[in-house]
Amino acid sequence: MTVTPAVEEEEGEAEAPKKGLSFKFPYDETEMALIAGIPAAIITIFTGLPAVIKGVGLLLALLWGMDSVRKTSKYGLGTGVPSIGVLGTGYGVIGALMGLAVVEYGAMPALGIYPAVLVGALFMAVLGLVSGYFSNNEKYIAMKIPRLERAMMELGMAGTLAMLLQFSIVTGTLAFQSVVDMVMETGVIAFMFIFTAMAMFHPYNACLGPDERRERTRMVSIEISGLLCIILGFAMLVLGTSPWGAWDGLSLIVFGAIVWFVFFRKFIKACMDECWETVGTGLIKTLG
Amino acid sequence: MDPVMILIIGYVVIGGLLASLGAHLLPVGGAPAAMGTATGIATGTVQIMLGAVLTGLFTAATVATFTNNILLVALSGAIGATIMLDVVMFMANILYAFGCGVLPISGRVDVDPITKEPQAEYKTPQTDGHGVPNVVFVSGTIGGFVGGFGGALMYFALLNYAHFTAGTAAVASFSIFVANAILAAYNIRGTIEGFHDPKFKRLPKSMIASFAISLLAGIVVVLAALGLGVI
Repeated sequence: MTVTPAVEEEEGEAEAPKKGLSFKFPYDETEMALIAGIPAAIITIFTGLPAVIKGVGLLLALLWGMDSVRKTSKYGLGTGVPSIGVLGTGYGVIGALMGLAVVEYGAMPALGIYPAVLVGALFMAVLGLVSGYFSNNEKYIAMKIPRLERAMMELGMAGTLAMLLQFSIVTGTLAFQSVVDMVMETGVIAFMFIFTAMAMFHPYNACLGPDERRERTRMVSIEISGLLCIILGFAMLVLGTSPWGAWDGLSLIVFGAIVWFVFFRKFIKACMDECWETVGTGLIKTLG
Repeated sequence: MDPVMILIIGYVVIGGLLASLGAHLLPVGGAPAAMGTATGIATGTVQIMLGAVLTGLFTAATVATFTNNILLVALSGAIGATIMLDVVMFMANILYAFGCGVLPISGRVDVDPITKEPQAEYKTPQTDGHGVPNVVFVSGTIGGFVGGFGGALMYFALLNYAHFTAGTAAVASFSIFVANAILAAYNIRGTIEGFHDPKFKRLPKSMIASFAISLLAGIVVVLAALGLGVI
């Protein structure tokens, strides 16, 4: 293997991001949180929307959660990246239950508008803030990670929104009883739990390293959201809950498949372009 | 304030504290244990605790279908989690001994605090112990028991006092348990052997955090039950 002079390497590094520019949000974390969080919250409130739009909201919420995981895990948690993703999902489930419990206040069931569910997200923001304070404070766990409080708060909110959106996709409403009957008792919650956690922690866990790039990492999150959409579409078809009929579930499956295919392909291409060298084993045909 | 609310919050807080204590007692090896260079099970705190409490919740949920005795339900959860952890530790020992050819040796103490067996002489240099030695096995068993007990206690409170359905109660108690176990994992930072490990002295710090989080989570659960009008 030839040794490249340092200068050339630097030039290569400067050029490298340009190759993968096919998917890039020129936003920093704060802008991303606003851009993803507000639409996701609005889509959560309106449960009468078609499943595909809710799928877009879910994708944004999970992307926001992944961003929070990434900015926290950069400093090294000491116990692996998955832990914080599972923490966010756990908070999400508690927050979603809280939101569903107060769903009736200010609701317009005829139009399918339930603004009170966002109370759950607010409660989880408080819980996340408190847990972030205790984890970061010198007197207690003393993790000494910059802005951990904010990241845990965002994780709680993103997890809650993602859970609520999934409940809303599968049941077509946010009434507590139907969520209990169709999500909790049927076991769909198990898929939701692990895939939400996966979409949050897996991208950074898989991509971390010296050459980690935010755009590339985010492709993995979107791709997992696509897989989640396919599973939710099948759940919708089997449960037959949508007011729009079977087309709603089918369109979600197609949407999920397209999202998965496009972003999986993009991710592999970006990896191939940005890596130093790819040595094929011949076992799997790569996109090259 | 209704006494039922205080009961729910109390049981959730006790369950959270037990989750934190249980996580500190587990033999967590992490990535070094996967290479045979540290004591314990070769994965993170979260994964071990998740597996243990899920098994515990299964046994507790089964027992809860035919009894209303809180002690019976909690103990069945504890037994389920203990059996799961013991099987995992035993299999890990078999794999280390017959697969890797290393002895179960503690890396943190020179003499086993329970059996008084010498440890330091058998330890491979540059490593942090191997496998699951006696004292670690005992500690892990206690950890599984305590953790499973806490998880089942939360499940019972949510099922019978907050009147959630079985599935909802299981998912909610699991989520609260996970949050507490992860805070404990952050306190442990990587690997721990059990009650004889120097890191075990950090337990009170995690307990305070766990108490605050469980209290808030308990309040959230009570508010949810109030919103549903079931208590």
